[in-house]
Amino acid sequence: MGSSEKRSKDVMSDIPTFSGENLQNNLKVIQNSRTFLSIIAGVLAGIIGFNGLTGFVFYFVVMLITSVGLMAKAGFSADLYFDSWNRVLFDGFLGGLMSFVLFWTFAYDLVHIF
Amino acid sequence: MNLGFVVGVFGVLILSHAAYSTIQYRGLLKIMEEEFSRPPMNVILELIIGLALCMWAALTFPGKFLSIHPDSDENRAVSLPDSSEFMIFNHRGRLFPPEIDMKF
Repeated sequence: MGSSEKRSKDVMSDIPTFSGENLQNNLKVIQNSRTFLSIIAGVLAGIIGFNGLTGFVFYFVVMLITSVGLMAKAGFSADLYFDSWNRVLFDGFLGGLMSFVLFWTFAYDLVHIF
Repeated sequence: MNLGFVVGVFGVLILSHAAYSTIQYRGLLKIMEEEFSRPPMNVILELIIGLALCMWAALTFPGKFLSIHPDSDENRAVSLPDSSEFMIFNHRGRLFPPEIDMKF
């Protein structure tokens, strides 16, 4: 078990304390999940042969499904694992977009051009 | 390894098999001189199965969510020795000469 550090020194104060190390672990888990699924979505879009805007729509659909999946993994109660809902839903959206486009073009070239 | 990793590898294998099938399908279309609009239905089915498996693996393999409440059951005993109340500074280390970096 790792150690946990308190965010505020005074236990009796009104500032909510939480374990920073566990929060970082949770954020890392979300980041890994989203990156992996962006890559998979890119490969899929390349195989199906999406061109242009349809591919980006596909990416957003996959990311929405990922958000629902992450919320289900957190048991629909973000207070237990995160400090705000926005982290669960919107973290890592744009970073995954670049991986998606990379693997989309890679798979498209592999399947349709060679 | 654990189940999530195996499922993820399986999903990736299914996806690569679907890619290979699509390449063969395109070769067939070139021979018949038709246009490529979408992969055949069995490939689409394989892609959906592969996506479902990879999604399940991506949600279970990276690790569990840990609770961030300091007073939940799993965070109890470990936080006690780390609070500043239990740290001792009056030990033999105070007799070491202090390391001062002299910079001009």
